Amino acid sequence: MTSPQKNKRPSVLRELAKSKSGLVGVGLLILIAGLAIYSIMGLPSSLPLSWNNGDAWVLNPINVPPVWFAELQSNYAPTLNINLNSAWKLQAYSAGTYDIYVYSSSVNFTWNSNIYPQNVAFKASFEGQAASASITWMKPQGGSIVVSITQPNSNQIYEAQNSYFIAGAQAYVTNQTGKYFATLTKPQVISTLFGRNGPNILNSTVSEGKYSVLVQIVSNVPLKSLSGLLVVIGNAYGYMGTDYQGKPVDLGLLAGLPNALEVGFLVAIVSVVVGIIFGGLSGYLGARKDGVMQWVTLVVLALPALPFLVVMSYTVRLNLIIEVLLIAALTWPFYAIISRTVALSIKSQTFVEADKAMGIPSYRVFFSHFMPRLVPVTVAYTVLGIPGGILLAETLAFLGIAPANIITWGRILNDAFTNQAAVLGFWWWVVFPGLMIVLSAVPFVLIGFALERVIAPRVAAK
Amino acid sequence: MGFGKFVITKSVSYFLVLIATVSILYLLTYKIIQNVIVASATEQGDEFRQALLKTNTHLTPAQVDQLVHSYEQNYLSQFALNQPAPVKFAVQMYRLLTFNFGSSYEIVWNGSHNVNTIIAGYLPNTILLFTTATLILIALGTIIGLLAAKSAGSIWDKIVPMIAVVHSSLPSWWLGFLLIAALGYGLNVLPAYGMTSVPPPKNWFFYDINVAQHMILPMLAFLIVGIGGFAYVVRSLVISTMGEDFVLTARARGIPESRVLFRHVFRTASPAITTQAILAVTASFAGALTTEIVFNWPGVGLLTYIAIFSNDLPVILGITFVLTIILLVGLYIGELVYGLLDPRIRVGND
Repeated sequence: MTSPQKNKRPSVLRELAKSKSGLVGVGLLILIAGLAIYSIMGLPSSLPLSWNNGDAWVLNPINVPPVWFAELQSNYAPTLNINLNSAWKLQAYSAGTYDIYVYSSSVNFTWNSNIYPQNVAFKASFEGQAASASITWMKPQGGSIVVSITQPNSNQIYEAQNSYFIAGAQAYVTNQTGKYFATLTKPQVISTLFGRNGPNILNSTVSEGKYSVLVQIVSNVPLKSLSGLLVVIGNAYGYMGTDYQGKPVDLGLLAGLPNALEVGFLVAIVSVVVGIIFGGLSGYLGARKDGVMQWVTLVVLALPALPFLVVMSYTVRLNLIIEVLLIAALTWPFYAIISRTVALSIKSQTFVEADKAMGIPSYRVFFSHFMPRLVPVTVAYTVLGIPGGILLAETLAFLGIAPANIITWGRILNDAFTNQAAVLGFWWWVVFPGLMIVLSAVPFVLIGFALERVIAPRVAAK
Repeated sequence: MGFGKFVITKSVSYFLVLIATVSILYLLTYKIIQNVIVASATEQGDEFRQALLKTNTHLTPAQVDQLVHSYEQNYLSQFALNQPAPVKFAVQMYRLLTFNFGSSYEIVWNGSHNVNTIIAGYLPNTILLFTTATLILIALGTIIGLLAAKSAGSIWDKIVPMIAVVHSSLPSWWLGFLLIAALGYGLNVLPAYGMTSVPPPKNWFFYDINVAQHMILPMLAFLIVGIGGFAYVVRSLVISTMGEDFVLTARARGIPESRVLFRHVFRTASPAITTQAILAVTASFAGALTTEIVFNWPGVGLLTYIAIFSNDLPVILGITFVLTIILLVGLYIGELVYGLLDPRIRVGND
């Protein structure tokens, strides 16, 4: 009864499906929704905590490009994370008064790069006291370097510059060159591990081929929950490289997606609902009440968004909900203005006049004529409001204002900015986080514009 | 309603908006404002003590403490800190409305800690960069919007939605990063940081050229992201005017299309476009805060960033209040200009 012409028109969704950009938007939306679900399900919940703790990432190479990019260059050494856990073997001996437990794991890896890795690191974690650990490093052309660590600590990281590695390398270098070196630098230790055997081992080319590593941990007591990791730190990492602390950029981007979307959605919903109802009422009521309500809108509009939010971050402890409410408190007037215009155009239509003439109560007129026509507008502008919320929240995060313990792309970009990533050529650290912001905003913009094109004529129809 | 009455009504309304907006800001930041006043009283007291000890060596420590204490109390009483709430509100609001923000904690401009002086030192740089950029944006945006509205389905008509998508989904500061990396350092064709080279050229002519060169990249970032929004608004305004009956009439009378567009359509849409332009210029004073930071442009945005990281609350408060007042003045002027341009209001036929 309200509008018979409505039934003649194809549904909003069908019209949306005709819009090419709308379809692209829907496709992108499905993609980022999938990524967000993967992020929520697949990433450990402790990630935000360890993200800002640089120690958690020391085994990663710092400021290195993505692997696929490095593959395009000739000078490329991958980062190998060699897990020792699958191969632990236990041999127990009894030596009269005490027992000896030997845990050993043997792994192989292939080094096909013609440049040296940046570093090599070993880490074991276990419960109990270990007497010693040894790493026997067998090279492709034969020969093996033995690194013996006395009383290794659980979770401690032993790298090439560590004295145990130096001692092992010294013995091997003396064996190869016939000379004794009082000390070796980190690059020299790595040359020893990866170089070609012979008198020039410290200045040789890389020895490519299959390496075998035998790790043995010796203890007098059984070691519980033993795990070990051997890392060859190259000059490339993951799909999107790493930052100044070795944090993988791809992981950060994935982890930042759900909260970016959450802020965007909530900001849009809160501000659009408040704005549409306020503006709709303002236009519907008209006269003096309209004047007062427009004045209120203006009072809020006069607040400069970014400085206001910065100041507010000093007065409240930000969490996601408070951030959303603060942003929404600034953005609802824009929707109020639009909604008021729509309400005014509805008000001038004849069926409203007719209802009034028939003496139908005004609240019923509002709900039967105004709200049904305002709701489609609401949907379109909610969709258009999401990217605005995402952009503002990431901009705030770039300024250092974000709830604690969530990972934001703005913060990653701020780190890139303070570490001069753009200048130093660490483009992956700058390009991908920004692209992620764009990627998460674009689907909503495309769908929103398409919806607007479909809905605006329906509302404005005379 | 005549134009005079319109001006008076709007002036009263906007003055009330000013009071209301600043009151809201004041109430929301009440606690930190009080902290800032106490902190700056202590700082002023310390300075006073230093001066006192230098000049009056005969004073005993107790006397000095006494004098400093009364000096601090005097300072606090200027802000009505110990007065009842309504008096305090009135006094502090008056100081805020008259741009009296006290002294900064750390940030200095030409040796001065006065927040006013500091903001006045940075604001012109923002205006130079972003107001220039905004004027270019208005000109280009109007042209593109008009061209798009003129012929539906033309290349311009297709470009506008595209650049509008860019406008709504691309952070200008991130684009700034890319421009710095690509043009500033990759190709090394344009200076990427700051306002002048270091050291700046001595000769005023070369100095100006140098500043202009430094303006190019930030302006580019601002324009690429911003232009879509303005062009989209212009296009919508012009298209909605084109649907009006008088345009049909004009066409029916056989008036050339370009004449219809400029004399009838554009003229009718111009008050709304002008209002949008004034709003854009006003917003430009707040700068694209983050764009300034990325390009290290010494404007209000960079000042905000520095203040955030050195916890300089008086400066942050000062910037917020100054920008609020500027924004309001802009809205007010926009409204008046709209009234001036719209013949229905100007002639007084509501």
